[in-house]
Parts: sequence; C-alpha cells; structure tokens
Amino acid sequence: MPSDPRYLPVVRGAIGPLAAAIGWDESDCRAITLALDEALANIMRHAYHNRSDGIIELECRESADGLEVTLLDQGDAPDRTKICARAIACDQPGGLGTHIIKDVMDTVSYQATPVGNRFVATKRLRKAI
Amino acid sequence: MKISIREAGQTKIVEIEGDVDLGTSPDLRRTLFETLLHAPKLALNLAAIRYIDSSGIATLLEVLKDSQRRNKEFVLFGLSPAVQQVFHLTHVVRIFQVFQTEEEALGSA
Repeated sequence: MPSDPRYLPVVRGAIGPLAAAIGWDESDCRAITLALDEALANIMRHAYHNRSDGIIELECRESADGLEVTLLDQGDAPDRTKICARAIACDQPGGLGTHIIKDVMDTVSYQATPVGNRFVATKRLRKAI
Repeated sequence: MKISIREAGQTKIVEIEGDVDLGTSPDLRRTLFETLLHAPKLALNLAAIRYIDSSGIATLLEVLKDSQRRNKEFVLFGLSPAVQQVFHLTHVVRIFQVFQTEEEALGSA
C-alpha cells in the first residue's frame, strides 16, 4: 500500500473482519484495528515523513494461536529511544500510538533488515475454557 | 469526516461525523483552534464518530491546552463505546471534562 493516509480506512475495513473471523469479540477487533492503524500511521509520519509515495508491505495472517501482522517499509529506521518514551496518562500530545500498540498486542518487535524496516506484532486468541 | 458548528448561548458546539485519523485530524485541529478563538466555551460532540486514533486524541489534547492558556473551556460529550475505548487505551479519560449529553456539557460552566 502507498504511505498515504487515504488508505488507512481501507486497511481498517479489512483488519476488523479478519480479527472477527479468527474469533475476537467486537471490542478486541476495534483494539486490534487501532493498533495496526497506529503502526501504519507511525511509518507514514516517521519513516516516510508524511510523503505519500512510499511503499508499505502489509501482511496479516492467522497464526496457530491468533494473529500475526508484519509491516515492511523502506523509510527511515525508527528511533528506538522514542518508542513508548512518552509518560503514560500525561496531557502531552504525541507518542500515544506506540503505547496503544504495546498495550493491545502481545508481542511487538522493530527490526532493521537489509530489505527495510520490519515491524512484527502478534496477538494470541485466548479461547474460553 | 464532516464537521459542523452551531451556537448555544455563549458556547460553540462542534459536531464531527465519520473517522478521525492521520488523514483527517489536521482538518479537525484547524476547525477547533479557529472556533476556540470566537467563544468562551467550546463543546465537542463525539457521538457520530465511528473511529478516532491517537492523532485525533493528540489534537484534542492540544486544543485543551490552548483553551487553558486562553482561560476558556473545552468540554467533550457523546462518547460512543468505540471512542471511550480509545480514551481508556490512551489513558487520557481523566484529563478531559467528559459529559454524556449536550445538556450536561452546556451546563458544566
């Protein structure tokens, strides 16, 4: 997908139904959708600096125990010192997105690879016993 | 996203419909900052918001701080469950004055 915010609603329209099909309830589907939207928005803002002509590769797939999301971009690498650097529950704007991603997903990783920046996040589906 | 503005006494009421995200929050920011200049109190109706992300929450925080600097009032009302969930995830729910109804929001001064 292009690094253009106009495509964010398109992705949101797909990830919610995917999460529902895997088995999450409405509230969890909204949270997963938000987390993925935040990850994409961070790439648009910080990797591509609001340029809309970058490319983001997006893969969402059902794993053995839930959902795995992989994002790949060729923009600037994320500044690790700024990930979740904002104090929680403060009135300063900015830096909220990485907290949302961390709170919603079970695992989150940011890697610099030869083919670009790779973001991987997973969420386990906790089945009712 | 659609934005409309109306008046109730001294208060300007801004109503938003649709999604607030990275693409639309700059429009919301411009509208709220501009409207705040022309009234002592600004009430934002979030009842018709389907989706809001952290850029939307950051916009609301910026407007709140600007209202405090100008000694004005900025209140929110009509938060849907979806919007409430984002407020809780971002830990900002206690930072804002939040009301259930427009009547309560208008009577808060």
